Amino acid sequence: MKAAPQSHRLLRFMRLGLSRLTSRSRWFGFLYRIFVYFLLIDLSFVFLYPFIYMVTTSLKTPPDLLDFTIKWIPTSMAWQNYAYGIVGLKYGEHFWNSAQTSAFSVIGQVLACSFVAYGFARIKFPGRETLFMLAMFTLLVPPQTVIIPLFIQYKAMGWMDTFAPIVVPSFFAGGLRGALFIFIFRQLFRNLPWELEDAARVDGCGSFRVYWKIIMPLTTPAVVVTVLLSLVWHWNDYFEPNIYLTSQDKYTLPMMLPRLYESLNETSATHGMETFGLPTVMAATFLVIAPLLLVYLFLQKYFIQGVERTGLVE
Amino acid sequence: MKRLGLERRKMLAGYVYIAPWLVGFVLFMVYPLVYSLWISFHDVEGVGSFRLKYVGFLNYKHAFVLDPQFVPLFFSVIQDTVINTPLIIVFSLIIAILLNRNMKGRAFFRAAFFLPVLIGSGMVLQQLLYAGVGQKTLVNGIGLPQSAFLYMGPTFSQMVFDLLSRLTLIFWKTGVQILLFLAGLQGISPSLYESSKCDGATEWEMFWKITLPLISPVILLNLVYTLVDSFTDVTNRIMLYIRNVGFVKIELGYAAALGWMYFAFIFALIVIVFAASKRLIFYSGER
Repeated sequence: MKAAPQSHRLLRFMRLGLSRLTSRSRWFGFLYRIFVYFLLIDLSFVFLYPFIYMVTTSLKTPPDLLDFTIKWIPTSMAWQNYAYGIVGLKYGEHFWNSAQTSAFSVIGQVLACSFVAYGFARIKFPGRETLFMLAMFTLLVPPQTVIIPLFIQYKAMGWMDTFAPIVVPSFFAGGLRGALFIFIFRQLFRNLPWELEDAARVDGCGSFRVYWKIIMPLTTPAVVVTVLLSLVWHWNDYFEPNIYLTSQDKYTLPMMLPRLYESLNETSATHGMETFGLPTVMAATFLVIAPLLLVYLFLQKYFIQGVERTGLVE
Repeated sequence: MKRLGLERRKMLAGYVYIAPWLVGFVLFMVYPLVYSLWISFHDVEGVGSFRLKYVGFLNYKHAFVLDPQFVPLFFSVIQDTVINTPLIIVFSLIIAILLNRNMKGRAFFRAAFFLPVLIGSGMVLQQLLYAGVGQKTLVNGIGLPQSAFLYMGPTFSQMVFDLLSRLTLIFWKTGVQILLFLAGLQGISPSLYESSKCDGATEWEMFWKITLPLISPVILLNLVYTLVDSFTDVTNRIMLYIRNVGFVKIELGYAAALGWMYFAFIFALIVIVFAASKRLIFYSGER
């Protein structure tokens, strides 16, 4: 009886404290959210910086470049730097070389890696796990360890100075990190329901038709992930083309960048203005990765969803 | 009898599917690997005619006893990787957790954080580094005024610059890892967080007790990816050195020996990582 008002007071006190606490935590949550935004914007600046820098610098005229009050926005847009870049890189010609080597490698890896992954994921046969381990093991081999024998081998096959050493291994589920793409497709295939296949088989579908007509159309996320990563890696690859392609008209775009840089250095050294070549170099650099940016712009949404849907991390 | 034939036919189909890989594996991987191992025990004389002279382990001994560059380079690459890898993992996990909340502009941020992957580590990045972008990025990012460096003195400001450019490069390498972590975080059921919130757990406790254990397989995946990526990166100094020995100095036997030692090291390291991770990784459900 006596305790009743006491407990009542205690309850009221507690309720007051609780409301004060929640209102404080609401404030805290608000501040926290602002802090997160601030952090993300600042961090994304670090990730966007190379692109911002490339574009702004590429549009600067020599006086703008020397004027340190001008950081981002040039006084006049020096579009001619892009013209110099296109001429210096021989963009038309070498774009085709890059496009051919990359496109064929991508097509090869998508077709071959998905085909092989279907075998690894959906058909049971003796030695499957061991062979899969071996496939993954190829990722650990540094390119330098096998480059000399491959060089000799390709020379004997008459593949030197052709695109074959870059493109052909992709059609055998190899190429740049081919095993990684086998892994990606296999992860996705393993998660697909077996009923799909059983139903098709009852209807008299062979395993190749099952793979091509039923499984492949369901693998868009893995295809997008493979296409984008394979394209980026092949497009930027410098090491292999530099060893296998010897005549300059076969060079890919990234291989032209050091040439451009050197020629600019030579001409500017005689004029004593070394840094003036920088906008042209940046214009050229931007031109080299512009096709990748364009592809990423279109695929970006599907790509990021794709990584989640392939069950890559399970 | 017919049933057995069917089973066998199905098995054969399996081999048919992996046949392209197997052919490529033998032609472009096993054969070159074995061949380079064989060369590594020889001295190659004359590139055109290609005469091999057996020298035993001399090439391997040469690397440790006579070559003044290989061992220091090797250790510096290991040192770089040992410092960079944990930072890459931690940064990418933090960024992924920040990106995993519901908020405005989420799609933009996700797209932005992957962008440096497009630059890769090849020629485009080299051009940017020549231009000094590596150093400028974080200085501008933090908003550090240029005048601050005037007060630091040349040696100290150089140190700060180096540190910042190194951190920038580490940030740019986190693209793939962030995506993998995001995918992993998506896989954690929200009901776990809700029920622990009911039990009075703080965000901090939830991170250590729920997120971290459930994300641990992805940490392993990212760890392996980062290690392999940095050790097999053709622009790392040891790879450039091996390339130089092989294609500029034309000491093919020696380059093969270096390549094989490096490969053996990576292989051993990955085996150790997998063995050590067995106890630390939490797998939910049966595996």
